[in-house]
Amino acid sequence: MWKSLVAAVALLAVSGSTHAASAVNKDAETRTLIVTEGGSKSDLALAAGETVEFCPNGCFVTLPNGDLEALTGSETVEISGGVARIK
Amino acid sequence: MAVSIKDRQFQIAFAARVAIKIMIFRLHRLILILALVFSALHPFDATAQALGQGAAGLITDQQKVIQGLTAKTDDLEKKIQQDGEDDASLVDIRLQLEGLSRAALTGALAFRSRLNDINNRIETLGPPPAAGQPQEPDIVTGERQALASEKAEINAVVASAQNLSIRISGLIDRIGSMRSELFRNLLTKRYVLSDALSPQVFSDARDEFDNFYKAVSSWLSFAFKFKFQAVLAATFVALGLALVLLVGGRRLFGRVFEADPTNEDPSYLSRLSVAFWSTLLPTMAVGVFLASTVFFFNYYNVLRGDIGLFLNALAAVIGVVFCVNRLTNAALEPRLPNWRLIPVETGPARWLARLTTAMAVVIGVNYFLSVVNDKMGSPLSLIIARSFGATIIVGVILILMAMLRPFKAHDGSWRPWPAWLRYTSLALGLFTIVAALLGYIGLALFVSQQVVVTGTALVTAYIGFLSARAIGEEGAFTNTSVGRWLSANSSYEDTALDQLGLVVSVAINVMIVLVFLPLILLMWGFQPGDIEAWAYKLATGINIGSVTISVTGILSGIVVFIIGYFLTRWFQGWLDGSVMARGKVDTGVRNSIRLAVGYAGVALAALVGISAAGIDLSSLALVAGALSLGIGFGLQNVVSNFVSGLILLAERPFKVGDWIVAGDVSGTVKKISVRATEIETFQRQSVILPNSNLINNAVGNWTHRNKLGRIDIKVGVAYGSDVKQVHAVLLDIARSHPLVLKNPEPFVLFSNFGPAALEFDIRVFLADVMNGNIAQNDIRFAVLEKFSGEHIEIPSTPRAVVDVHKPKAWPTDDDKIEADFAEQEQAKMEAAAEARRAAKTGRKVRKPDPD
Repeated sequence: MWKSLVAAVALLAVSGSTHAASAVNKDAETRTLIVTEGGSKSDLALAAGETVEFCPNGCFVTLPNGDLEALTGSETVEISGGVARIK
Repeated sequence: MAVSIKDRQFQIAFAARVAIKIMIFRLHRLILILALVFSALHPFDATAQALGQGAAGLITDQQKVIQGLTAKTDDLEKKIQQDGEDDASLVDIRLQLEGLSRAALTGALAFRSRLNDINNRIETLGPPPAAGQPQEPDIVTGERQALASEKAEINAVVASAQNLSIRISGLIDRIGSMRSELFRNLLTKRYVLSDALSPQVFSDARDEFDNFYKAVSSWLSFAFKFKFQAVLAATFVALGLALVLLVGGRRLFGRVFEADPTNEDPSYLSRLSVAFWSTLLPTMAVGVFLASTVFFFNYYNVLRGDIGLFLNALAAVIGVVFCVNRLTNAALEPRLPNWRLIPVETGPARWLARLTTAMAVVIGVNYFLSVVNDKMGSPLSLIIARSFGATIIVGVILILMAMLRPFKAHDGSWRPWPAWLRYTSLALGLFTIVAALLGYIGLALFVSQQVVVTGTALVTAYIGFLSARAIGEEGAFTNTSVGRWLSANSSYEDTALDQLGLVVSVAINVMIVLVFLPLILLMWGFQPGDIEAWAYKLATGINIGSVTISVTGILSGIVVFIIGYFLTRWFQGWLDGSVMARGKVDTGVRNSIRLAVGYAGVALAALVGISAAGIDLSSLALVAGALSLGIGFGLQNVVSNFVSGLILLAERPFKVGDWIVAGDVSGTVKKISVRATEIETFQRQSVILPNSNLINNAVGNWTHRNKLGRIDIKVGVAYGSDVKQVHAVLLDIARSHPLVLKNPEPFVLFSNFGPAALEFDIRVFLADVMNGNIAQNDIRFAVLEKFSGEHIEIPSTPRAVVDVHKPKAWPTDDDKIEADFAEQEQAKMEAAAEARRAAKTGRKVRKPDPD
């Protein structure tokens, strides 16, 4: 019984993955976000229609239009028509 | 120091606030969505204008915030360089830096809505006209430019926050490498022993002791002259507190506290509890005495500068030595062999207790002297000499312990410790001595301290685990004092108490892990800040790959589910007991509604709990999709029964208490649950009938709308009787019975010219068909009585008389008898041989199954 309980809790824990922010590219071409996380900048290239989870503990993101935004790690960045929106 | 404590408190408060915020956020996610929907209905421009007025203020505000954070970071960077040698302060700085990083992020977040508004507005304005197109009004150009410049300002502020966070990350990395460097230095630094062990050390030590003596004696004379009353008061108050604790503890736990020397064979559990309490209570009393002494001395301003530090160190040393001594004495009980936890002999037990205490004293004294040296600014050679002496002594003690032969074999010879324990102890002792001799004093000291302190913690934790296991054993909890008290004062059964014991044992295990894991980590050189940072990470979520594990999320989900569950149960009870009972609702309907409400409530609680735990159901959907085919096949029956159960609740072809006939089963419905329905036959056999049977097959219900029912009683009269008279008599009997309804009228049917009799059927209707047997009995008795009075015969079917042809007996024949007897003997012997074979193979001779 304990084993199954532990297994259930582990399953719940593993599936609880809503903390990270996610980025969705709804355009037909590749879009790039510049993510600053933990002291380093990196390019996050999103292929057409791709969804990527990133930035679990807060980060800064440079959007395609040059805007710099802070993310806490629970948002969704949606890119459509070259414009990114944070939801 | 005060500042750093304050900041630490701020950190903790911040972490707690964030955790609470996350929980609240999830709880109200639905409400938030609703609120968003409503707010979206408002005209957008109004909010944009309202926000636009405060925008300039927002930018300057946030600029100031970021500047403040940058200034704090500058201070901390300077502090890193200053306190580069102090591990604890480095950890503290790291915690503060993490807080600053979060604050920078939060500061940058403040612009999100404004930036959103600006982008929307720019989009509404459209792009500036191209070269050939007509000019746009100046007001539009102006607004576009104003928006663009505001956006540029905002971006500049956010960029400064970003730079700050990058810088802070760099600093945190630097602190990490500095700390590992520090630790490496501590362990690998080699001192030159020839300086430390020269005669010079003795004169240094004498100077040092004189200084210390002067400091203490001057403080003592000061205390006696000016603060004598305060010292007395503080000491007495502290003593009083300790006494209250000790005496109160003895009164409360007196029975389990003292080992009873007359007890020949105490149970393992009672030995454990005696060991535990006789360690805990005196240690707590001494700890309270020491802590309150220091506290009251501080309170009355008796302490002065370094004396306070000395007193703190002394108190810690006395506390640890006392605790180690109590623990070894409790576990080994040199005086009472029956109460010993570890089955060593008496002589070695005494030696073990002495050696352990000596080791604790050496380590303690060394620690106290290190505080003194630190405060007095002693020469390095003295410090090295002190540490050298302490580590060599600890090493020797460890080797002595390993050489001890604590067990006695059956033939009286002494047996050593188990090999792994002996060699570990030997290796540790040799390692310490060799390291000290080679000059690696830091390493040797670290190892010897860990041996004493971690060893004590591990032994205590191990005893705790053992007691948890002993409590968890079957029937053990009932025999404890708490178990006896519970069984005397509550209505718990033995099995319930046993399960409670299991729960207690699991709780003890969890508690031990929660208490001792951080304790051991602390001793292994991790700073409280480290553990705090881990706890914070654990609470907000750890990342493994792209997966985040969050303890607060899971806990909040579980808590929400439990609250939802109990709310449902309460609502169920209230609806059933207060509303529906008062409303005179039919029991069956009540039952159905109660069940439906219960299932809906639990399902709702589970859903809310899962969403509060932050579990994305969409990630489960993939798994569910893959499994659904398999589940569909495997759980076909269960699902079909479940759905049937829901239909039964909605349609209500029968309710609890109904008399139904389903196939071969006839009885009263006891309980309708979601998978199956419990029916009690009139023989009091419970039949669990899957719900799908009740939905798919015909179910007869005697008491569906009402309990009205007809019973038929067959009566036969002899040929030649007056049938008219018989009819009248039977009708009269039926009508005169009190249970028989007047409407529908009783009816007597002349049903058949039977082979032996003229057959009549009495058909009567009863208001409650459950009384059928009583009515049938009464009517049959009455029929017999009336018929014998009226001389009406009831014929019994005559049996056919059969002439049985008996076979002729065998002629008396000795040969035949002898042959039979031999055959019987043979059969008997074979049977005996068969029985022996069966017994040999261990198979039991099976009884035939009952029909």
